[in-house]
Amino acid sequence: MQVLLVAFHILVFPGLLFEILMGILLLGTCNKLVARMQNRVGPPIIQPWYDFLKCCGKETIVPRAANRNIYLGIPYVGLGIILSTALFIPFAGMKLVFGQSDLIVILYLLTFVSVCMIIGAAASSSPWAGVGLSREMVAMISYELPFVFVILAVAREAGRGTEAGMTFSLADIVAYQQTNGSFFLHPALIPAWIAMLFVIPCEIGMHPFDVAEAETEICEGTLAEYSGKPLAAFKLTHCVKLFVMTSLFAAMFCGGINTGIPVLNVLIVILICFAVMFVSMALPHGACARFKTEQVFRFYWTFVSGIALVGLILVWCGF
Amino acid sequence: MSAAVSNFPIIAIITFFLGAFLIALIGRLNKVLRNVLVFISVTVPLVLMCLLIKPVMTDGQIVAYWMGNWAPVSDWAIGIGIEVDALGLFFGLIVTLAAFVSALYSFTYMNRDDSLENYYTLFLMLSGALLGLTQSGDLFNIFVMIEIMTMTIVALTAFRVDYDGALEGGLKYMVVGSIGSTCLLVGIAMTYRQLHTLNLAQIASKLPGNMNAVTIAAFAFLLVGFITKASLFPFHPIEADAQTVAPASISLMISGVITKCGVYGLIRVCYNLFQNIDAPSVEILITGFGALSCFICVTMAFNQHNFKRLLAFHSISQVGYVIAAAGLGTALGLNAGLYHAMNHLLFKGLLFLCAGAVEYAAGTLDLDRLGGLSKKMPKTCALFLIGAASISGLPPFNGFASKWLIYQASFEKGVSSGNFYFVVICVICLISSVLTLASFVKVSQSVFFGQLNPEFEDTKEVPAAMRIPMWILAVLCIVTGLFPNQVMKYVTGPAANAAINVGTYIDTMLGQNTAAEYGIASQATTEIGKIGIWSPVSWLLLLLIITCAVCLVSVIEDPKKTTEEERFEYNKSKGRIAKFSRDGFKAAGKELPEAENAPAEEYDKPGHHRNPVLSGSTMTFTGERDPKYEVFFSGEMPEYSQVGGSDLFWGFKHSWRRYFSYWRKWHSGIVNDYVLYGVAALAFVLLYAVLFV
Repeated sequence: MQVLLVAFHILVFPGLLFEILMGILLLGTCNKLVARMQNRVGPPIIQPWYDFLKCCGKETIVPRAANRNIYLGIPYVGLGIILSTALFIPFAGMKLVFGQSDLIVILYLLTFVSVCMIIGAAASSSPWAGVGLSREMVAMISYELPFVFVILAVAREAGRGTEAGMTFSLADIVAYQQTNGSFFLHPALIPAWIAMLFVIPCEIGMHPFDVAEAETEICEGTLAEYSGKPLAAFKLTHCVKLFVMTSLFAAMFCGGINTGIPVLNVLIVILICFAVMFVSMALPHGACARFKTEQVFRFYWTFVSGIALVGLILVWCGF
Repeated sequence: MSAAVSNFPIIAIITFFLGAFLIALIGRLNKVLRNVLVFISVTVPLVLMCLLIKPVMTDGQIVAYWMGNWAPVSDWAIGIGIEVDALGLFFGLIVTLAAFVSALYSFTYMNRDDSLENYYTLFLMLSGALLGLTQSGDLFNIFVMIEIMTMTIVALTAFRVDYDGALEGGLKYMVVGSIGSTCLLVGIAMTYRQLHTLNLAQIASKLPGNMNAVTIAAFAFLLVGFITKASLFPFHPIEADAQTVAPASISLMISGVITKCGVYGLIRVCYNLFQNIDAPSVEILITGFGALSCFICVTMAFNQHNFKRLLAFHSISQVGYVIAAAGLGTALGLNAGLYHAMNHLLFKGLLFLCAGAVEYAAGTLDLDRLGGLSKKMPKTCALFLIGAASISGLPPFNGFASKWLIYQASFEKGVSSGNFYFVVICVICLISSVLTLASFVKVSQSVFFGQLNPEFEDTKEVPAAMRIPMWILAVLCIVTGLFPNQVMKYVTGPAANAAINVGTYIDTMLGQNTAAEYGIASQATTEIGKIGIWSPVSWLLLLLIITCAVCLVSVIEDPKKTTEEERFEYNKSKGRIAKFSRDGFKAAGKELPEAENAPAEEYDKPGHHRNPVLSGSTMTFTGERDPKYEVFFSGEMPEYSQVGGSDLFWGFKHSWRRYFSYWRKWHSGIVNDYVLYGVAALAFVLLYAVLFV
């Protein structure tokens, strides 16, 4: 019975199936919202799923110059990593499959997913992909600094009850919020979650920050040569990453929500995911044109990092 | 303790030196005999060190050996002592493992050089000196070993004299290294003048009661001496020059072991001799040096065009991590530092050997020229990716486990001491990690992936004999990453405890209760909690299951396609085969029948219409490549369009151009400047020590 329950958690809810479903719905809704903002009708909400199916049915083409094994294999590794990353995040206060989780592990697993995309692009040996991967890496450096500040601020605040005075464990962070109220409403952490809202779109590579995949400039950059099933895997990775980031936000800042009814909790967290998606992805997507690579870097290392640092100092001083 | 065990360390050291002298005598006679001799001289010490693991690491004994049986009389140590506690053994294991791997690699890697008997003589002397340094219980002996080490490494750096910059690298190392040696000698002399002894245990017992201006100055001199040996900022330029021009097997020794000896010295001085690591001013000084080196060198590595030079800067950056963690003065911090020191040998050694393999196969290390070697050297590429993932700290490789500990330790230290400075250290470490990743993305793109430069068309995979030592390191990288709790329990934990429990060390050497007489309290053995929040094995299992499932689903293909011919016809009928796909691309299944291979007479037959869709040769009639079918720029002339290493991170470099041009001035390549930095660092540390310590 225990085994079946764990299998259910891993495979169905809040595991694989749920992650994929949520990812697709989030991306579909995001596209729809952006379309409405631009006065278009927009694609159906499950368009990402159609895209995925269509990619799966297409022939996979490998460039002559590519390193075949790595080129074909790495998208699946990336998909596997992002699917397992989601299991580290406590969803709506539910018990984790791994028992424990850690913000630094999540940070590095998210990095690993981007690295998979970079290695895949490099293995295709296309010059477009070469430009794309360099931009992906610069984007990664850009959001890493504010992300680190946010993580440290949350770790410090949640560690007030513990012996060490800090904790990177996401389970502890959620438990602390359950007793002391969500960080979302905590005055010292307001700059931290504002900065986190900026980190999310860059981490996922959504529109104003999608320098790595700029379709119109560098032919989708990292994905330039991909087709067929590997491309489908990358598309799905993108969707799941969207869900992982929004639910990470929910766990880090809205972990204190507890109505006593599990179903209601889940629904509220799903709502939070959609709200985060709307604020941090759909709005800038609809409002801004794509940044240049060095603009992304400067924006994140000055403005966003500044907000995040203010948050860290506020928490440090104990406001 | 059995009597045999206490002889192991000295036998190990003697084996290295004996091997060196024997090879100098008879190495010229027979190549096979020489190699066998080298193999024996590196294997015996490794085995002896491994045999010491059980008594020293597990049972917590301290192996003492007095040369010529000059045991101390009434706690006054006159003879030369060899004393191996868990800390010494930990570094001894690092030395012997590195020597073993490096010698194994040299057998093939160095076969294009001549006068190899000199190489092996110097190499074994270097290994012996390094081992002696870690096992010695005598401050002056440590200095002697450091001198042997410096002189042999200078000769080995310049071993390939015809290499561009080899002599220069050796000379710089000698000049700046001698500053470090002088500092050490002065520091030792001052300590001796104050305490009238050179034995480590005796110094440790007497120093805490004898802190005055002279011993504090001695502390500063010793500190700067070991910082030079660890090549921290501002001594890093010489290290980069030396590691670039040395043979790859020697670069491994410099980056993996010689810098570690500086780390070992720092830990011994701060934790055991002066026992002042708990003082906030010392912590701030040492972690500051570590974090500065960590960040500056990782950004310098960003800009390099030479594979080995890039790795060299990363060595110092990683040693910066080690020092930043060890300087925190907490048990967790020291554990993290030692763990990272071990990991650094494993992954950086692996990367240097990969660089050596690329150099061996392609003849160059220029990141702007290389590219696309993964098709020519797939096995080296796989090994490189393991090393790169480890150094970038991607889970579940070993770099992640130790970096995780470093972040945890530095942030915890910041919170417990209420000092924001340590949080800054934590942030610097985290950011350096992503920059490390970026520069290894650069290496993988510009050496192994990307387009193949036509001049490396006939590059071949390196021989298996060179890949075996690389595999040893790669497997160790994965194992130490997967079992962090076991590593901490059996390897780094005892070593860190040995460094902290100086009382036990003194008692073993000078008799029971000596430490208590001098008022040195014995510390309780610190238990480090597990890295419980991260269990790499279960995650890896899950990842494997998920990935396999995903792959299985993707492999179940369209069942209609049975044979290649049918599949081709099927695709054609569906219109799936585009104009270019016949030639510009291969289909995912197997290679499509190439029309190119059809006999040329086919085209000459009367009535044969050359249809690009059906016949689709990529060659024009004149035998040149038809630009229409070029892979990436269809319709244009094919060109070599690799994004070179220097241009890869333009968006980042552009924003940091002022920073980079500032540091460019620092790395002038003039040895006078480097000496000046050394003197300035010495002046700074002296002033700081006198004012604050």
